[in-house]
Amino acid sequence: MDDNLELPNNDGPEIRVGDNLEEEDQSSGDEDEGPDWIKLMPKAARPVIPKRGDKEFEPSKQGGSGLQQHILQRARNAIKSISYGTWHPSLARVSVTVSRGISIGTVGHSVPRETAMTNGTVKTQKRMELLPEEAIYLIERGSLLCWKESAVEYPNDGTFESISGSPMTVQQAYTEMIGKEDLTMDRYQVYAYLKRLGYTVTRTKPPTAFYPLTAPFPPSLLTLTSSSSCNSKISALFSSYSFDWWRPLRIRRWLKMDKNYSFIFQSLRFIPSGHKVPQYSPTETQTPSSPYEPFFNLYKPPTPFKKSAPPPPDYQMVVVNARTTPMPSLRELTAIYDNAPELPPPQRRVRNPPQIQGISYKNLTGTGGSDTLAQSQTHNSNTPTWMSSPSMISLLPHGLTSWLYAKPTSSLQKVERRPNPFAVLRQGKKTAIIATVDAGTINIFRFAQGAFETGPWF
Amino acid sequence: MNGRIPIRVANKRAYVWDVDDLNRIRSDHRLCGLLVGTLPHLSQQNVFLGLPSQLTPEEATLLVEKEYAVFVDDANAYPEPSLSQFQQWSAEQKEYIKHQQAVLGAENTKAQELAQLAVSEEAIRKRKERELKRQQKAMELRKLQEMEGDPVAGSELPVPIPAVNAGPSTSPTSPSAHTQYNVCITTPSSALSWYSPDSCTYSTIEAAQEAGIWDFPSNLQDRARYGVFKDLWEQGYFLGGGIRFGGDYLVYPGDPLRYHSHFCATVIESQTHSIQPMEIVAHGRLGTATKKTHLFCGWDDERKTVSYLSIEWAGFG
Repeated sequence: MDDNLELPNNDGPEIRVGDNLEEEDQSSGDEDEGPDWIKLMPKAARPVIPKRGDKEFEPSKQGGSGLQQHILQRARNAIKSISYGTWHPSLARVSVTVSRGISIGTVGHSVPRETAMTNGTVKTQKRMELLPEEAIYLIERGSLLCWKESAVEYPNDGTFESISGSPMTVQQAYTEMIGKEDLTMDRYQVYAYLKRLGYTVTRTKPPTAFYPLTAPFPPSLLTLTSSSSCNSKISALFSSYSFDWWRPLRIRRWLKMDKNYSFIFQSLRFIPSGHKVPQYSPTETQTPSSPYEPFFNLYKPPTPFKKSAPPPPDYQMVVVNARTTPMPSLRELTAIYDNAPELPPPQRRVRNPPQIQGISYKNLTGTGGSDTLAQSQTHNSNTPTWMSSPSMISLLPHGLTSWLYAKPTSSLQKVERRPNPFAVLRQGKKTAIIATVDAGTINIFRFAQGAFETGPWF
Repeated sequence: MNGRIPIRVANKRAYVWDVDDLNRIRSDHRLCGLLVGTLPHLSQQNVFLGLPSQLTPEEATLLVEKEYAVFVDDANAYPEPSLSQFQQWSAEQKEYIKHQQAVLGAENTKAQELAQLAVSEEAIRKRKERELKRQQKAMELRKLQEMEGDPVAGSELPVPIPAVNAGPSTSPTSPSAHTQYNVCITTPSSALSWYSPDSCTYSTIEAAQEAGIWDFPSNLQDRARYGVFKDLWEQGYFLGGGIRFGGDYLVYPGDPLRYHSHFCATVIESQTHSIQPMEIVAHGRLGTATKKTHLFCGWDDERKTVSYLSIEWAGFG
């Protein structure tokens, strides 16, 4: 950051907001320098400061007029459209009266409410409602003008499209909406952080019955509980219709393909290992309530998200307070892992793939992937499309299936390389993402449950 | 109470919503706070954030104890506006919108006038004349050069005059009636005429704790943290959050915008608290790797004093 400040010049550094700035700020040497606010000020208002060597400068940003203009008013951009809503403290929801703009497209859910009509009857109407965190975020960025419901009818002289109560400031929104419906300031800060990055964020546990339920993870990805070791092999043979990435060798014996090292080594392993084997768990049934529970479901920006029927989430995030919450215990982590989907081993990235028109590269990296079968999950798994429908593969041996579906890829460069064992170990099978908040600073950690007992290292 | 900075308390957290108050806290009282709000102009990034500024419990408690600030129970400060207050607020918004429309409208007419001039018949005719003149000059020059015997680099055909459609101008002469404008969502409630913090202001920590809006410090750990914070602050340092460097506080010799921190402080709750050797090594290495000195600060709850030990990694041989 200091390189372009060595020689004095009148044009300031160019503003790069986004990835570049974040990378700079993450260098550990500069970590407590903080962002350079002068870059935010318009060029005319920036102080012209002569620089010689590493002489320190005193930024005037504390009382800078540019900064004041920026953060004093929440004037929205004229190109965006503004929505209107009403805050109902008793319901802890904001009902949307006028809905416009793109940012309101991924938030909110539809709730039927009884409204008293003018002719005296009570009719049930559906209206869009926002959770407190969604409402505060929209108000903050200037996409929603919120009124607080009141018994007084305030006159509308045409300035606003709809008036349904007293006007709320951003300060009032923070004060009144945080603390309701399980929303703490920590959780709101993580929510706003993720929304600013572009994710779609919903709650893992629906707060009411009207909140749309997320689609569960496909059963092929959830952990299969293991049976005892003696009949595990037999059952494994017959349960091969759901292809297991982590144990691709089961059918080989049946096909008399067992004269190789991998099969022999596997057969010799009679000591059960791995996370699927149930451990001794003490008899106490009272598990103390723990803050380590997923609170938010995250969807990556390109994932298609439908408000009424959300797909399985790309990530699930736990939010804890860094001051009061200790590190998670093994039991708490295991509880999170048990509900998480199993990740397939990371495939090697195809470098410089052949430029073939009309074929998506996702199919190149799968073994014999076919793009004819419909795929419902847009999960972050790299599972080829045909694995999620178990009926298609029922009794066909593995070799035959891959041949059958190899047609689209036979003309392409076949990528049959094993995944990198270190990448597999690092990713693990299950993932837990934990965000810790300490008075405004958010740190996000990923804990992974590793797998040593099966894998592509022999 | 005059001149004391209002700290808005909501859900037992301290916020500062007015920029002037923020300035005073930083420049007069050496406390920084942390901006946590979304900037509406740059709403899709996390590097630059705006109001409110969140104060840590230690910073807020210190300000109130030293009588620089008061606590305002924000949840109870919003009575319903009367009709006249609302109408006045609505009128102010209307004024702001009209002002915007006037400014934007003037800009629009100017731009449209210029655009009109460019396509008017006068302008087209003049452009043609200029082109002709330029080509004639070029041909004369070439003739001169040929007579003087200079080699001519190829024969250049004159550039044909681009056919300009001098059709009737279609742009309207008057600016559009529906110019877009910004609707202002106010940030600080102090801008509202009906916001009344006076009835729920608390000028001492005890009063706030009794009222139930504030509860720091509540146990030995809090008292130790606060004691160390106050002691370091009274020695003239600026203090920031230490979670990024594995400690409780970062200790700056001056404003954090100017200087790097010198120390990373860890609070030890009592004089008899045990410290593992591994902790000493870990803190020492971490501090040295980040060009800071790690500070162990021991709090004595009976005598209310702090003792300091600094650690630096030094290799032998």
